[in-house]
Amino acid sequence: MKNNYSRLKWVALIIVGGILLFLAQTAFAGNKSLLITSFPQEQITGKVTDKDGSPLIGVTVMLKGSNTGTITNLEGNYNLSVAENSTLVFSFIGYKTLEVPLNGEKEVDVQLEEDISSLDEVQINAGYYNTTKRESTGNISRVTAAEIELQPVISPLQALQGRVAGLVITPGGSHPGMASTIRIRGQNSLREDGNFPLYIIDGVPINSTPIESNSLLGSSGIDPLNNLSVNNIESIEVLKDADATAIYGSRGANGVILITTKNGIGKHAGLEGQIYIGAATIPNRLDLMDTQEYLAMRRQAFVNDDLEPNQYNAYDLVLWDQNRYTDWQDYAFGGTSKTTNVSLAYSGGSENTSFRVGGSFFTQGTVYPADYSYQKITGSLNLTHHSENEKFRMNLSLNYGLDDNNLVGNLNLNSSVFLLPPNAPSIFNDDGSLNWEEWGEAGLNNPFEGYFNTTLTHTNSLISNLGLSYQLLDGIQLKSSFGYTNFTSDELLKLPARSYNPAFGVPNNSFQLNVNRRSWIVEPQIVLEKEFQRLKVDGIIGATIQQNISTKQSFQGSGYASEAFIGNLAAAESILNATSENSEYHYAALFSRLGLNWDKKYYLNLTGRRDGSSRFGSNNRFANFWAIGSAWIFTEESFMEDYLSFLSFGKIRGSYGTTGNDQIGDYGYLDIYEATQGAGGLYPTSLANPNFSWEINKKLEFGIELGLVKNKVTAGLSYFRNRSTNQLVGYPLPAITGFGSVQANLPATVENSGWEIEASSKNLSTKNFYWQTSFNLSVPTNKLIRYPNLDQSSYANVYREGYPLNISLRYQYDGLDPDSGFYIVKDINEDGSLDFKDRILVQDQSRNYYGGINNSLAYKAFSLQFLIEFVKQEGSQPLFYTGTLNNTLSGLVGNSNYQRISQSYEANIAYSYASESLFPIEDASFLRLKTISLGYNIPETIIKKVGASSGKIFINGQNLLTFTPYSGLDPEFPYSGTGIGSSRTITGGFQINL
Amino acid sequence: MRLNIFKRLILLFLIAIIHTSCEEFVEIDAPNNILVRNEVFNNEQTAKSAMTGIYNELFLADFSSGSRSSVTLLAGLSADNIGNINTNNQTLTEFDINEISPSNENNYSLWSSAYNIIYMTNSFLEGLSNSQNVSVELAEQLEGEARFIRAFTYFYLVNLYGDVPLILNTNYESNKLASRNSKDEVYFQIQEDLELAILLLDTDYRNQERTTANKYSSIALSARVNLYLENWQEAERLSSEVIGESAKYEILPNLDEVFLANSREAIWQISPIGGGGIVTHTNEGILFIIDPVFSFFANFQLESDFVNSFQDQDLRNINWIGYNEGKDAFFPYKYKIRYSAEFPIQEYSMVLRLSEQYLIRAEARAQQDNIQGAIEDLNIIRHRAGLDPIESLYSDLDRRLVLDEVLLERSREFFAEWGHHWLDLKRTGKAKEFLSVSNLTWDDTDTYYPIPAEERSKNTNLTQNAGY
Repeated sequence: MKNNYSRLKWVALIIVGGILLFLAQTAFAGNKSLLITSFPQEQITGKVTDKDGSPLIGVTVMLKGSNTGTITNLEGNYNLSVAENSTLVFSFIGYKTLEVPLNGEKEVDVQLEEDISSLDEVQINAGYYNTTKRESTGNISRVTAAEIELQPVISPLQALQGRVAGLVITPGGSHPGMASTIRIRGQNSLREDGNFPLYIIDGVPINSTPIESNSLLGSSGIDPLNNLSVNNIESIEVLKDADATAIYGSRGANGVILITTKNGIGKHAGLEGQIYIGAATIPNRLDLMDTQEYLAMRRQAFVNDDLEPNQYNAYDLVLWDQNRYTDWQDYAFGGTSKTTNVSLAYSGGSENTSFRVGGSFFTQGTVYPADYSYQKITGSLNLTHHSENEKFRMNLSLNYGLDDNNLVGNLNLNSSVFLLPPNAPSIFNDDGSLNWEEWGEAGLNNPFEGYFNTTLTHTNSLISNLGLSYQLLDGIQLKSSFGYTNFTSDELLKLPARSYNPAFGVPNNSFQLNVNRRSWIVEPQIVLEKEFQRLKVDGIIGATIQQNISTKQSFQGSGYASEAFIGNLAAAESILNATSENSEYHYAALFSRLGLNWDKKYYLNLTGRRDGSSRFGSNNRFANFWAIGSAWIFTEESFMEDYLSFLSFGKIRGSYGTTGNDQIGDYGYLDIYEATQGAGGLYPTSLANPNFSWEINKKLEFGIELGLVKNKVTAGLSYFRNRSTNQLVGYPLPAITGFGSVQANLPATVENSGWEIEASSKNLSTKNFYWQTSFNLSVPTNKLIRYPNLDQSSYANVYREGYPLNISLRYQYDGLDPDSGFYIVKDINEDGSLDFKDRILVQDQSRNYYGGINNSLAYKAFSLQFLIEFVKQEGSQPLFYTGTLNNTLSGLVGNSNYQRISQSYEANIAYSYASESLFPIEDASFLRLKTISLGYNIPETIIKKVGASSGKIFINGQNLLTFTPYSGLDPEFPYSGTGIGSSRTITGGFQINL
Repeated sequence: MRLNIFKRLILLFLIAIIHTSCEEFVEIDAPNNILVRNEVFNNEQTAKSAMTGIYNELFLADFSSGSRSSVTLLAGLSADNIGNINTNNQTLTEFDINEISPSNENNYSLWSSAYNIIYMTNSFLEGLSNSQNVSVELAEQLEGEARFIRAFTYFYLVNLYGDVPLILNTNYESNKLASRNSKDEVYFQIQEDLELAILLLDTDYRNQERTTANKYSSIALSARVNLYLENWQEAERLSSEVIGESAKYEILPNLDEVFLANSREAIWQISPIGGGGIVTHTNEGILFIIDPVFSFFANFQLESDFVNSFQDQDLRNINWIGYNEGKDAFFPYKYKIRYSAEFPIQEYSMVLRLSEQYLIRAEARAQQDNIQGAIEDLNIIRHRAGLDPIESLYSDLDRRLVLDEVLLERSREFFAEWGHHWLDLKRTGKAKEFLSVSNLTWDDTDTYYPIPAEERSKNTNLTQNAGY
């Protein structure tokens, strides 16, 4: 097999080399100079206005056939050096593009005419091809740089929260760099880890699985997009329906996120810079008891239980200081984290070539009680070039980023810390060492055990793509994309002995973890385009070959003589637990697309893909995926104009097709043995199933898109129904089979359906005042529609047919026991024991609906943008016990809804049953001012004095206000109650263009 | 135009090449950190490694590890000679007070880890039976070892849970719905595995260390099984065979040497090497020994009633029981090393040792009314403990009295070792008599642990034990 693979590599290389040589010769044949133009230059100035004479700001003024250009300033004026007798092209969204040939004039004032079919202007990236809002047959949402560039987030996807219908982003946690959970149109796979969307950055797929870590990031993993800079992103497209995703075949089931970085085309040459600084805090606190309240409650518990407190069951009453008070929430996460971002970019070019070089530096602190930080540096280069005859085109994009994440080691400052009794002993001794003595007297470990541990996670990421194309004949273009990615994460976890109780005699330790992910991809394509009178045909035939290699090495160094040596393996007494894992994933595919368009009225789009993946056994390696999409722009029909003249645009579209999901581990189909931890041994690590196959997601969608008032108001309504079958899961098994699960395809169907609305309105657009509102709403339904013999299966107590996947089965709460005063839940089948047979109430834990409202306002030089995110959902009240050795909410005592104060075992059991009943379920909906930014464009008169062409100062706030009835810390974690997600951040800075 | 057609043909041709290569391209070799099962058993070296893997995993598997979810601790808590002194260990307290919830996580760990080891032995036996390049001699030896481990694991399952599913292959499709087999069926399989193991295994330890099973390990376990099944004659015969092998085994006069690695009293031990060598102490060592300085971390003690049952001059009281002043607590001190990262490893975790064989024979002999023979065996153990012969305590030793004394001797000899006392109380029907004194909520159904709730929710064919 090795031989076959290398043979293929040679074939690919020869093809690629051949194409390159051929293209290069053709392209450069008539092109002597790349960057220098030797035409005489002259200065052209002018003013661009609308039909009322109001100046238009930000109109792109380009020299036809080149990449040189500028944009108009606040007064609508422009200034450009051009060669004599060139033609200027004026373009602006919402206006018709105007071409003005220069006939020796030095001053050219123009009036632009509003264009009602402006939906054509915005090019939408559909992956292998481009389309427009007007002509698209599929469902693609687009978010642009302007909406996200000011947000102080690490991974760019975090900035999409609330902006896209059908997209749910849940933060991984409050540590910088944690991977968020991204779901497009709900959970398709029964496996949590089978629901990642496909990420494509400038045409190169990125493994979207979070990267493993031993640090605090480990619970969610490291976000693979951390090393991108938000400032460097031009647009993010979210592909949702079959029409848009089927061309990604076996990887499109969970939707596709396309990230396009900025390039130099259409930008006026020059430097742009941005800087901001800010601070973040955790916005919320639980209303916990203070020492006196807490101790009174504890004493009452012993009175109620008729028990004498002693040092074992009541160390807080007997051993500990009765007046000491620590606000453990403040102690654990009350800090302020500081953020700084600096970004710089330079764009330039000549007629045939343009480039953009960008760089950024970002740093963020932590709200936790230690001096830790996150830093990243990114660099990017985009280079585009076309030959004189415009037949050969080249596009190179390089994105490089590195970050250093310094965190507390494995100390998790979660509810186990902030629910400590408020009179618990101090964490540290006077000399700064951890206090073991006082905690130990109570039989406890210091809760800050591990405090002096640190992790340094250093990652760097290169994402590169080279795209070459050559117009072979009129209507036939040869194209190929070559991508290479390399991601490494090197992590050192230091565990100095002083972090641990000396009683254990733990030596100085270190854990090293090195992860590397490399991939290359080659995608040769033929692009066809032909017009037959009113019929326009375009198509693509292409192939993909991709290889991913992942390696992971970890080991432990132990017994360093001094803390200072930790991490220096030469100073370690022993190196232990060395593990080395590597895996390879090969993927090959053929894909094609055929687009038909009759008279710009009727559209048909056919896509297909044949995929092969090395993750499956030999019988199941290949599968076909396809989709059909169509659209009818009914406002183009003459009879419509008679009846629906108030519509400026109307389109009905629909699509149906299949996509697949191969997100499972590599080699899962093999019956394998791995090395044991102990020397010299081999053992089976999982059950083997040689027959598993792809999950299939069949997607159906209908949509209607309307434009009113010259398309000033646009609205789209979509209905979708995705059915995911042949579920591939780590199917839970009873332990008697040897393991807890096995990979297998289940004859089950998960349906995600729902309605989505995306609307936008230009409410006002006058000379001085501009106001635009956009709105999105998603009403999703998730349902397990079929699962034969569910009650016989291992999922009998996890899922219910006809209900969403995200449910919990709960007891019926029956009030307080009149005798004991404890919570009681109903023993439904009256068999004397409480188990799943009694948990007959099904509680839906998914969102009922969610969405966002974004407003952009501008008045003269001021601009204001704010996004309100809203979610309708249920949640679970945390902490409704009283009397135990944990702090609790102060409102519980004396409230007859809650069980009587008790520290007894019975009370604890009653509490745990009640927490699995409907008792704690409450409304956890929220409305959040997700982002707000206020900007001021510095007047030209001032900015010119410092030699800049434009400048802006701004302040930006994240999560400033949240309205929620939920009693937990953060409604983004409605069932944890004590989880912390988004922090409240305020940043301020300025932006300048030179 | 001809040229253009030509170009197009080339392109189609290239795509065709790419497509045919695809088939091969998506076939990949296993990486260098895993081995496919067939390959493991087509090579003597890797086949041996697979057996070493099982021994290694026994040190990590919860039920056999000697740590928090092990038979040693949990059955020790149940039998009331070990006490839980850290009330934060709620799930362990449940074992201490014999009120185990079906969802108890220690119970689940105990159960699932045992079945994981059984899977390994089943996978091993299947792989071995299909192998081609392993010599008959080695294959027989390895089969014997795997059968021994399987019998050993089922022995604890059947004693702790009663009827348990008898899983003898790796087919999860059928096994996932397996029902419980009767105790008789399980014991029948244990006997069969042990008979084969005795037949197949060599008298020497394969790797020169007492951490692999040899013929005598199997005979010793078989002697115990026959004792539990009350096949007195067979139990006597088998234990005599081990006791007779004095070239290998002896009762060590120095109590401090009994639990050392490869001690001459050891019939089978589990080495901490399975942990990967980060630390080299036994799990029992770190679990039980109370650090003299940091006593507040103590979790377990030996109950004082139990400690008082020793005579003052009993060397086991002196050598095998520690006392911590800070906690005012007694603790098992058979293993002397609490923490170590040093090589070579000093202590191995003891599973089978010679003194049990003497006490098995003593009991079997007494049951067959060979009182004098029983007393001789019993006195060998008493003598090593520095005690006078049993005759000095009683003027008239009858069968009942000897049996009672053997049982008491077992509890003093094997405390904090593999739940001996718990299993002894159960098999002799004395659990109620002993435990209802200190435990007012004692119920006769407490003698079996509950089938884990999680397991029953995944396999609805599994019934629950009475009383849960």
